[in-house]
Amino acid sequence: MDDRPHKAHRPAQSGAKAEKKSKGKGKEKQHGFNEKAFAPKSGRRADRQGRRNVERDQTRLHVPLVNRTPDDEPPPVIIAIVGPPGVGKTTLLKSLVRRYTKQMLNDVKGPVTVVSGKKRRLTFIECNNDLNSMIDIGKIADLETFEFLNILQSHGFPKVIGVLSHLDLIKKAATLRSTKKALKKRFWTEIYQGAKLFYLSGVLNGRYPDTEIMNLSRFISVMKFRPLVFRNSHPYLLADRLEDLTPRELVRTSKGKCDRTVTVYGYVRGTNLRQSHKVHIPGVGDLDIQDITVLGDPCPLPNESSEKRRKLSEKKKLLIHAPMSDVGGVIYDKDAVWVNVPGSFTRGNTDVPQGEGEQMVMDLQDVNNTLEDAVAKSQIRLFGTSSQNLTVEDEKGGISGEESDEEEYSDEEDEEEGDDEEDEEDEGDEDDKKERQDVEYADSDSDLGGDDVDEEDGRVRFNGEDQDQDIPKGEEGESIPKWKLNLSERAQKSTSLSRKAWLKDWTKLIYSTNLTPEEIIGDKREEDQEEDDKMEMDEDDFFKIKKTSSDNAEELDMSNDPVDPEELKKWEDEDMLESIRHLFITGGDVDAEQGDGGLDEQGEDADADENENDEDSNAPKPSSSDPESTRAAALAAKKEALKRKFDEQYDDPESSKLDFYTEKKDEMARQLALNRAEFEGVDAESRALVEGYRPGSYVRIELANVPAELIENFDPTYPIIVGGLLAAEERFGYVQVRIKRHRWYIKTLKTNDPLIFSLGWRRFQTIPIYSLDDHSIRMRMLKYTPEHMHCYATFYGPVSLPNTGFCAFNSLSGDTPGFRVTATGVVLDIDRSVKIVKKLKLTGVPYKIFKNTAFVRDMFSSALEVAKFEGANIRTVSGIRGQVKKALPKPDGAFRATFEDKVLMSDIIFLRAWYSIQPRKFYNPVTSLLLSNKADWTGMRLTGQVRRDEGIKTPLNVNSTYKRIERAPRRFNPLIVPKKLQASLPYASKPKLMKPQQNQTYLQKRVVVMEPEEKKAVALLQQIRALRKDQVVRRKEKKVEKKAERQKKLAKEEERKGEKEKERRKEAMRAAGQKSKREADMEDGRGRSKRRKT
Amino acid sequence: MAHTLVNFSGHQHLRHRLVLAILTGKHIRIDKIRSEDKNPGLRDFEISLLRLLEKITNGTIIEISVTGTSILLKPGIIFGGALQHDCPKSRSIGYFLEPIIMLAPFAKRPVQLTLKGITTDDHDLSADLLRTVTLPHLQLFGISNGLELRIKKRGAPPEGGGEVQFLCPIVKQLKTLNFVDPGKVKRIRGIAHAVRVNPQFSNRMIEASRSILNRYIPDIYLYSDVYKGDESGKSPGYALSLLAESTTSVIHCAEAVSEPGVAPEDIGLKATRQLLAEVNKGGCVDRKHQTLVLMFMVLGSEDVGRCRMGEPTPRTIQFLRDVQTFFGTSFKIVALPGCSQLLYSCYGTGYVNANRTLA
Repeated sequence: MDDRPHKAHRPAQSGAKAEKKSKGKGKEKQHGFNEKAFAPKSGRRADRQGRRNVERDQTRLHVPLVNRTPDDEPPPVIIAIVGPPGVGKTTLLKSLVRRYTKQMLNDVKGPVTVVSGKKRRLTFIECNNDLNSMIDIGKIADLETFEFLNILQSHGFPKVIGVLSHLDLIKKAATLRSTKKALKKRFWTEIYQGAKLFYLSGVLNGRYPDTEIMNLSRFISVMKFRPLVFRNSHPYLLADRLEDLTPRELVRTSKGKCDRTVTVYGYVRGTNLRQSHKVHIPGVGDLDIQDITVLGDPCPLPNESSEKRRKLSEKKKLLIHAPMSDVGGVIYDKDAVWVNVPGSFTRGNTDVPQGEGEQMVMDLQDVNNTLEDAVAKSQIRLFGTSSQNLTVEDEKGGISGEESDEEEYSDEEDEEEGDDEEDEEDEGDEDDKKERQDVEYADSDSDLGGDDVDEEDGRVRFNGEDQDQDIPKGEEGESIPKWKLNLSERAQKSTSLSRKAWLKDWTKLIYSTNLTPEEIIGDKREEDQEEDDKMEMDEDDFFKIKKTSSDNAEELDMSNDPVDPEELKKWEDEDMLESIRHLFITGGDVDAEQGDGGLDEQGEDADADENENDEDSNAPKPSSSDPESTRAAALAAKKEALKRKFDEQYDDPESSKLDFYTEKKDEMARQLALNRAEFEGVDAESRALVEGYRPGSYVRIELANVPAELIENFDPTYPIIVGGLLAAEERFGYVQVRIKRHRWYIKTLKTNDPLIFSLGWRRFQTIPIYSLDDHSIRMRMLKYTPEHMHCYATFYGPVSLPNTGFCAFNSLSGDTPGFRVTATGVVLDIDRSVKIVKKLKLTGVPYKIFKNTAFVRDMFSSALEVAKFEGANIRTVSGIRGQVKKALPKPDGAFRATFEDKVLMSDIIFLRAWYSIQPRKFYNPVTSLLLSNKADWTGMRLTGQVRRDEGIKTPLNVNSTYKRIERAPRRFNPLIVPKKLQASLPYASKPKLMKPQQNQTYLQKRVVVMEPEEKKAVALLQQIRALRKDQVVRRKEKKVEKKAERQKKLAKEEERKGEKEKERRKEAMRAAGQKSKREADMEDGRGRSKRRKT
Repeated sequence: MAHTLVNFSGHQHLRHRLVLAILTGKHIRIDKIRSEDKNPGLRDFEISLLRLLEKITNGTIIEISVTGTSILLKPGIIFGGALQHDCPKSRSIGYFLEPIIMLAPFAKRPVQLTLKGITTDDHDLSADLLRTVTLPHLQLFGISNGLELRIKKRGAPPEGGGEVQFLCPIVKQLKTLNFVDPGKVKRIRGIAHAVRVNPQFSNRMIEASRSILNRYIPDIYLYSDVYKGDESGKSPGYALSLLAESTTSVIHCAEAVSEPGVAPEDIGLKATRQLLAEVNKGGCVDRKHQTLVLMFMVLGSEDVGRCRMGEPTPRTIQFLRDVQTFFGTSFKIVALPGCSQLLYSCYGTGYVNANRTLA
């Protein structure tokens, strides 16, 4: 049957399909990409084009990053809605939630989780207009709608979708268009060219138009996220529920001031969360995790069993998890009471008339069970739902744990079931549904039973497991001599089963027993441990003594194990030497497999080695069946592999080489697959022990010593984020950052003014010192941050890893005018000491001058100080360099100094030194969540602010004031060279008289007297010259006249010519006009004649 | 922020506890240090180690009680740089270098440490093994460029007088280890050295060793390394260190040090038999380097690291427990079917070198 070939496909030769195909082909030919048309003409151009293409290709690539979030069950995507008050954030949130769940939320508080698709859940959270909330939200949100982009930039940039609301307020179409355009342009410059921007027009029935919301939701559902480095290395969760577990009595006795034990609930995000992690809640502080428990997912993704269709069914869409909001009657209040009443109902709502049923439920709420009970129940309830969906009825199911109240609930159940039935009538599988529900209840019941064990923490449960496994062991351990026999027997046995039985427990032996390492290694196996456990009471003392005795024998902490000569003895045996031959490359497997019984183990070992390459190839070995055939098969496989390798290398040595990018990506994928595979079959308990709680699981975290104010002033509209800290981040130290004042912040920043940093998870105030690198020699303090330039800042505070971004603020309060983000930057370095210096100039004056030596005073105040500075370089203002030599005895602090030239008494001598300064150890966490009014946190004030508030004037050093410097013009005495010296100087060196001649010379002074004939001759010459001059003048005049006349004539001529030309042109134009007219007439005539004809 | 204080008692396992404390930054108090002993308190080499740790870090505060039976360590940051340290004659350089090797990749500056003292003794890894075996183990984790151990002078016990220089680069993060294939031994190398004794001793050791090893593989090179004059330290002594490298670059090693009244041939045979025993135990990492490899697996990126090793030594077991108290990380230890080896796998903590300076 199978061999029969299938009929080959025959494309249609005629008909619509064929036509369509041929048409398509033709089109393709016509409009296709003609390669020849775009071929470059010149080689250079081709080269350039090629290079450009390659470069463009590179821009597509990003540094490959590992995504730590598992693909199968990812945590919900957090979508924060941010914007100024009154822009319609709540309306947008409600509209979106309605779009996904068909339910209208009445009162939105805290995060709202919905299922948006088969593989995606969304958590919406609205961010109020408080800078603290915005900072916190900015650190966790995956997707934002609206502004506050600078906070985002420094903490890793999530995806941003812009939403413009209130567009219906702009009436004129043209204005609307231009506004849209302008806003879009602005948005694009902030985010990137082509960032998505949505326009919402108008509010209908308290929500935005459905089509617009639908479009928005489509974009949300197809968003792809690039992992952000910080979030990819820290576990965190957004708490969607908070409970106070403190004993009420304690609270009462301490008047509510005692530290609380608090549980928070939420989805783990980022990396795996471990119990050993410390956590930081921004706005509260660092806290210790006491306990983590995985709870059933309250808003589960549809799985294979519940959802077989490709699309999400309408029913699944009803899932919503918003414990702090009012979801059509389900309210979560601070104290774990879940109420379900048909219709909208709020507990505090007393003015609404309450019926009997409501009253009953109200009473139920006030039931006097302790908080602990309630919590225990809440946990039970959630465990019960872990596999199945959690809707309204599930919550009830949880509460139904209270046996006494069952009846009240049964009413509701009926109602609910009624609802279900209504639903089911649509689908028409009522029975099935009922059954399912029954099963569900059964599930929860069983969980109730088993919960006693589950509720205890991990260690206790381990003991429980011990007990389970001890049953066979107890049998074995009954007789002690048998035990030894058993051991040796086991040593000989090579059957994997028994081996597994005792090897399996290494993890447990090491981590959950009190045995000393020696005991674990020695022949004490778990059987003994059992006995130990039994006898622990009696033998406690004994063990202690043993321990101390071992201490007494000086045991060195050494890495070389003492050699046992007996062990080595066996290596003198030739057989033994031969037995390990297979461990060498020359050995081969053959002899190993044929080895005798004692060496069987080794042979298997070798086999295992071969199989090791692939994890899943640890399948049962074929060696037992037929050694010959297996050997042949192995040989064949080896040959095959070799051949493939040769082919690869010979044919194309480049083909096997991938580029760096692909290689990296492959490597990551492989590692991720390995991560998944490694803990596939392990139970959840030990899995949590080894790898922690994976992202995507819904957990309950118990925190100890939480400040009471968090509970007292709890406000669900402020987000509570639980951020896990890495080992390094628990420490304090000096953090050096690269910082740049924000270009929109108006003022400059001053060293030693407090600044609020948002760094890592934390928000804190600290006092930075700004500095710049001075020629890589020193860090020089700056008084103020430079403009438009990065500088360094060093402050004392909690350590963050280098390359973490941050942003800084001067004030977090809402009433600060202008832009509040003061500076942004990145962490560079962490240290326990800093070396920042500022310049110090010590000045002194000479009081006695020898040739090149001078005595200087007023620089130091004691001889000791001078001694410290011996050999230091000094300088005069005029630039003469010198050195400090030795202190002088008489005036305190005076010293002898030598210079390269003679200094003047009027010179000031100064010494340039560097004074190192330390940042102040000030760290003030912004504990905004502990305040009743969360927005008005005030930290340390700026110096200027303090002065302004207190009315203190800025201290003024008189010496520092700028005064007008009056400098008398300096008079220099003339240089007098003694006559005797002058005489002996050579001519070149003699002083020259440089003054100009002041007396008139003879040529200037003399008088000329002429003879009579001389006079005559001179007069004649003068006359001739005068005549000549006159003649020239007259000639010139005549020439000018003639020229003017000729000019006139020429102009006339020109005019005449122009006239003629005009005439000619006129004639030509007329002719042309006539011609065209005639043609038109002819046309016309023909038309007319035609018409006449008809 | 209240610092977490980790408490221990007893003088044992001091080194790896200190290393863990410095890496995690947790304060550590160790009390009851030989409190029952006739000679209570810290020994000179332990104090010397604390001094060395103080040198290599910045801001570390070490408080030793008056009796010396308890210490409190508040770790600072690992600084590194050029350092010099004189080791006391009671322990060899290996004792001091092993913890430093664990710390050095996470320093702020590349470490250039010069240690003076005994280079080879039978308690700790000798300088030869550190150079030829320990440092290649670091390469598995991506620490390779500029990693070097120079043996400038050899110093045999009791007087020492040797000098080694350890150069280690810094890394941002360690690579995740996935080392499950032990392969087969493809080459054997060895160094026989003899100082202040007849240089023929090393040749005699080599010959004895070859008499056993020649049967297995031809690729055997045993070097005779003779230091003369000033470079040979103050005391006579000789030793043979051997290592067997497999096709997947698994290294097993063994060493035997001269003892009074024992012929060099016997030392050679002892080292060789130890090597064979080590090879027979199998696994990808030998017993001496279990803690080092496990430590770096814990410090790797947040992925699953796997390594195949033999049974843990008592030291390793205690180390695993201490790792859990410091990092909260525990290992999954599974027996491999059909052999005595175990597969250790753990989820790395994603430890990033926070001390590294950016730009």
